[in-house]
Order: sequence, then structure tokens, then C-alpha cells
Amino acid sequence: MQDMNLTGLFIDLMSRLGLNYEFLATGYEAQVWRDGFITTLYLVAITIPVSLVFGLIFAACLTSGRLWLSAPVRGFVELTRNTPTLVQLMFSFLVLNTVVSNMVGGAQNNPLSPFFWVVAVVGLHVAALHAEAIRGGIEAVPSSMIEAARGMGFSQFEILRYVQIPLAFRSSLPAIVNGLISLVKSTTVGNAIAVSEITYASIMVWTQRDNVVEMMIVLLAFFSLINFVVARIGQWVERRLAIPGYGL
Amino acid sequence: MSMAVTQTPKKSSRVLRYIGFVAMPLLVVVWSLIDLSLGKELVEWIPYLASGFSMNILITICAVTLGTTAGVVLGLMQLAPFWFVRLPAQIYVQIFRNAPALVLIFATTYIFPFEIVMFGNYLPFPDWVKAVIGLAILSSAYIAEITRGAVLSIPTTQWEATKGLGFSRLQALRFVILPQCVRRSLPPWMNVASSMAMGTSLASLVGVHELMHAATDASTAVRRLDFTIIAYVVVMAAFFTLCYPIARLTRRLEQRFNAG
Repeated sequence: MQDMNLTGLFIDLMSRLGLNYEFLATGYEAQVWRDGFITTLYLVAITIPVSLVFGLIFAACLTSGRLWLSAPVRGFVELTRNTPTLVQLMFSFLVLNTVVSNMVGGAQNNPLSPFFWVVAVVGLHVAALHAEAIRGGIEAVPSSMIEAARGMGFSQFEILRYVQIPLAFRSSLPAIVNGLISLVKSTTVGNAIAVSEITYASIMVWTQRDNVVEMMIVLLAFFSLINFVVARIGQWVERRLAIPGYGL
Repeated sequence: MSMAVTQTPKKSSRVLRYIGFVAMPLLVVVWSLIDLSLGKELVEWIPYLASGFSMNILITICAVTLGTTAGVVLGLMQLAPFWFVRLPAQIYVQIFRNAPALVLIFATTYIFPFEIVMFGNYLPFPDWVKAVIGLAILSSAYIAEITRGAVLSIPTTQWEATKGLGFSRLQALRFVILPQCVRRSLPPWMNVASSMAMGTSLASLVGVHELMHAATDASTAVRRLDFTIIAYVVVMAAFFTLCYPIARLTRRLEQRFNAG
């Protein structure tokens, strides 16, 4: 009861300002809209780890010095960086998804949902951005440090794991945070294949209510908020990991 | 010794980089030659796809031109000594820099009317112009930050020197500071331009006839899985051959400026 009153108060206040938020009082539309927020947050929360893990793997391949590892990854990174995410998503969804469906025998058996394709495409796209940043960091590790590690009997993988990546991660953190912010923005392409994230839900509402401006205000505020939080967490991690006397 | 180690992968990767310029179109050509019925279908649709891509290029050029003009002004406004000039620019940049391109394109498409009444005449307001405005808003916010960063990267001693030479603040900006900023902000500006070029594909979602839209039309008309694949490969090839050279040039410029 208390909650209903607050919603009513908000709608009333906003309509005095000339903004139409009446849909909040209805059950169905408000529910779709709230689910949109949750879907977007969920999408972001899953895609960020995916992009970081693949970014590390790609960067390790790029700096491995073995052509059979670095050349395909280099090709993939250049392809994803220089083609639109939307085209990649449509290609994956219309082509790869159809191929998978044909392989498992019919679309009804296909376990891959549109949600999966958004996570895969956006995650790998941003992983390519991360890979470039981390590669720069790995190459910036002084060669004397690597020689010292080799002298202490570290294997190639141990050097990567204990020396290069910890230092590279710190120096590339600002670039990684930029990548994560573009990840948050890229999740909106999901509405092209009917993943009901917040943009999709907002479109559902404004086609019924014709309140585009109101929905846009909320959308812009929401994305500003997520990006602000991501940037703040990035700064916090950066401070936590800072080594006195190394880096900036 | 370490020189020798770093030199070897560089040479082979240089070959790979040059392959990058032609790889995607080559793939399309080779595939259509192998399967001639597919190639014939594709040749029929190429003019339609090309008309779509010309729309992408038109939107990119307009959006980047508008965005650069507005962005430079906003960037300089952010550095103004008066808060009532500085604050609106800062708020604008903060809001729109964090906004997804798609949301801005939807916003401009649905908020602006589909025609404007001007002196009793109804002028159409086409969708692609709205997409241009949406992308221009986004690029202006990015370019404002680039401009601000470039101006701030010029040492303060240069400002002091111009003051000593009797320049006013605006004169110093016009004759001393901005010419140096152009050089510094060129690589990030090219990054923005290429990401705007890629962003134009989002306009297909609001019904602008561009390359993505054309490819979808073509694949629904032909109804062949292999044609669908090749149509989207053509879309990727078109964007890739547009953006990859820009990316290469950007990296080259960055390296040269860092060295110089």
C-alpha cells in the first residue's frame, strides 16, 4: 500500500512537470520495464567476466611469439575491431545460429538463445579491445625483468602468469575500464535480436504510451549510472593494486 | 639478441597486415567464382548493396563533420574561465559520452517529427538525417573530450609565453595552441571517425536504407542459406575495408608522434 502511494505521488509530481510516467501505475508495462533493467544488469554482469577472460587469453596468444597462435588471434582481433558489433551479431545470429540449428536437427533443439549470442558477440568484441590493451602492457614489461625471471628458472608460462600479466594488468587497467564502459553501451545491440533488455523494454512502453522523452531521460540516466559505477570500481581496483614505485 | 627476437615476428606480421587490406573482398570473389550460381545472384544484388553502403558513407561524413564542429566548440567551452559557459558543456559531455549510440539514434528518430512546417511548406525530415544527428551528438561528446585533452596537454609555459608576447587569450588559442592540438588529436579523432562509420549500421534498426538493411532485404528475397552468409560477409568486408586502413593509419601516426 505504501509502495502504491509512492508510485502515485511520483507520477503526479512528474505530470506536473509535463512528464508522462503513467505506465508505472499499470501492472504489465511496469513489470516489463523493471525486467528490462534486470536483464541489462544481468547481461553486463555476465559479459564483463567473459570479456576479461578472453581478453587475457587473446593477449597471451598475441605475445606468445608463435605464429600459429598469434596470427589467427591477430586476424580475429582486427576483424572484430573493424566491423560493427551489430553486423557481427546479425551474422552470428542469422548464420552461425542457423548452422547450429541444422546440426542439432531443428531450431527447437537449439540450446543457444539470443541472450547467449549477445554475450558471446559483445564479450568477444570487447575482449579484442582488452587484448590490445593488455598486449601493450605485456610488451611494456622491461626485458631485464623477464631475463631475471628466466634466470631464476621460471618457465615461459610461469613468466606470463607471475611476472608479465600482473604488471600488464595494472598498466592497462585504464584502457580496460574504457573497454568495459563501451561494453555496457554495446549491450544495447541485443534489442536487434529481441533480447528484452532496457532499450527493448523502453521501446515496448513508448510505442504504447508515446512518452519517448520521458523514457530517454531514464535510459540516459541509467547508462550514466552504470558507467559511473564501472568507472568507480575501476579506480578502486587501480588504487588497490598500485605498487609504490612502479607505473604511474 | 632481444632485437633479433622482436624483429622476426614483426616481419611476418607485416605481411599479414598487408593481406588484411584485401583479405575479405578476396574471400567474397573466390567464393563466388567457386560457386557460380551464387556468384551470379550476388552480382545482381551488388548495385543494391552498394546503394546501401553509399548511405553509410553519407551518414558518416555528415555526422563526423557536424560532430567535429560542435565537439571542438564544446571542448573549448569546457575550458572557459566562466562557470556558466563551462558547466553546460561539462554536463552535455558527461551525459552523452556515456550514452549508447543506439539509444541516441532511437531518441532522435522518435523525438523529431517526420516533417517540419516551414513558412507553410511541409518539408520532409528523413530518417537518415535523424540518424546523422544522433551520431553527431555522440561524436561531439567524444571530440569535446579529445579537444579538451589536447589543449590541456600543451605545456602552460606556452600560454605564459604568449601572454608575454602580448597575445590575448583567444589569439593565443587561435595562433599557438590549436595548431599544435590538431596534430595531437588527429589519431584519436580518426578513431572516433571510424567508430562512427561502424555506428551507422545501427541506423538499419530505425529503418534507414543502409548496407545492413540492404543485406537483410537481399537475403530475405533470395532465401538461400549460402547467399545469406555471403551477403553478410560482403557487409563485413565493406566495413572492414573502410575501417581497417583508417585503423592502420591511426596506429602509424601514433607511433610517429610518439617518436617525434
